[in-house]
Amino acid sequence: MDNSVKHLLQRLIRRIPASMLKSTLDKWGRLTAENRKSLDFTQSKWTIAQELVSICEESELTVKHITELEMIYITENPNQGMWHTFQLVDPEDDAHSVELMQFKEQFKSHLSELKRNVSVKIKKHTDEAVWIRVAWGDGLSRPNHLKATYVVHYLQTPYVFVNALSSKHKPLLLQALTLSTKHQQIKAANLSGQKLTALRDLLMRQYQQVFPTKYPSPLPESDQSISKLRIEKVQAEASANRHRMAGETFGDGTLPALQSAVFQLETKFKDPTNEAMTQRDEPFICSVKFSSSNLLESLRHCAASGIASTPVTPLLSSIPLKGRNYFVITDNVPTA
Amino acid sequence: MSLLKPFSKLPDLNTANILLVENEEQFQQNLANTLVEETAVTVNVRLAKSLPLPMENDESRPRIDLVVFIINLTSDKSFESAKASLKYLDPGYFLGKVCFMATNARHASVRTGCLDALRQLAVSLHCPLLFAEDQTPEGATSSARRLLTILKVASGLIPNTTALYLSNLTRCTMPPDIDQPSFD
Repeated sequence: MDNSVKHLLQRLIRRIPASMLKSTLDKWGRLTAENRKSLDFTQSKWTIAQELVSICEESELTVKHITELEMIYITENPNQGMWHTFQLVDPEDDAHSVELMQFKEQFKSHLSELKRNVSVKIKKHTDEAVWIRVAWGDGLSRPNHLKATYVVHYLQTPYVFVNALSSKHKPLLLQALTLSTKHQQIKAANLSGQKLTALRDLLMRQYQQVFPTKYPSPLPESDQSISKLRIEKVQAEASANRHRMAGETFGDGTLPALQSAVFQLETKFKDPTNEAMTQRDEPFICSVKFSSSNLLESLRHCAASGIASTPVTPLLSSIPLKGRNYFVITDNVPTA
Repeated sequence: MSLLKPFSKLPDLNTANILLVENEEQFQQNLANTLVEETAVTVNVRLAKSLPLPMENDESRPRIDLVVFIINLTSDKSFESAKASLKYLDPGYFLGKVCFMATNARHASVRTGCLDALRQLAVSLHCPLLFAEDQTPEGATSSARRLLTILKVASGLIPNTTALYLSNLTRCTMPPDIDQPSFD
């Protein structure tokens, strides 16, 4: 086995956390039963890596198999790195009938036309997502497997999620995607974050929505205990309204764990007490970042408890409604 | 302006009514559950986020004997909201029928000067300032017990005492060394 391949395998073993190592290797399925039994998982990672390298050398596993292992690990744990979203626009007439085999062939052929020496691996996950792993090389060197790009696409939806793509390769990948899905253009969707599952759930609305109804609350209970009858919330109606509006904007139950939102302000400075700043003609450029372990839940709580005024301002409600978390705000238009 | 008036309605027999005003609407629920468990007196609890109270349920509301402002010292908004609500109380309440309750006084993120500002406010209004611990059920029980003592006097259920007499004993005073320059 080549040194670079050994290095790749060692790097991969270091990356996989010790708790998941055994299950990932079992899913990989390339080790024989006796090899699996002989591996002692209580040793240090370095020793396990050495043993695995020698086992793989014996079984003559190649780069292809190791990249399989990496893909299995990333597919099971997609919430790492930074994912960026792109949206496909202007579908052609037969865009809806693109199915998996056709997409695979088209994508591989387009990408190899655009750049030689790329290594592409496409796999369909159980939840209808197509995972693509691309290792880039150029005319002179072999594909660099240490810095592979991962792409996730749900066929028949216009959304594509990309991880670890350098700006040099970006136009090539985007063109290959556009052509193979039979669309005319692709643009950045201004949604990025660490948790792929959160981005996907937000865009595809996979959380509980609240729809406006004419009679929001069910009939009141008639069997209140005596002590509960003596406690009364005086402003219960206002509080219920706030809760309802917050739920209608952000949803009910567990919300996707979006972690940050950035507002890029390019508006004029507005402060009547500060003459020096308001006299300037150029816009005041300022960037506001909201971050949280679950941003949508905290915004919903702000609206429900009255900290943010209801109805919720379009600046905040555009986050779930438009599925974006990067906004540029200029004076004329609220969200650009 | 719709002021809340202390003596504009008739009282009920053996009943005490308390209004808990809290911007966050968290601790008041626990306090309310403990307060209504009192058996010697019928306690009615009304919960509000801020004053003024809406005019719609003015008819069904009983006469409020004691107004308690629950202020979370870690949040400025809590204090500002309580101060703004004070304007909607008839001055008659400040003769022993208003009480301030501060929570989270020992929290690390309390802004310096916040507690002093609250004390100044309580001193200027001649009201008692209680401190409560809101994270455990025992905290709710002990604060409820103290509130009940004041409430029973404020609703006239204890003979030979009125709220004004009691407030002379319980009202907040500034400790004498607060105005001295500190030595650290």
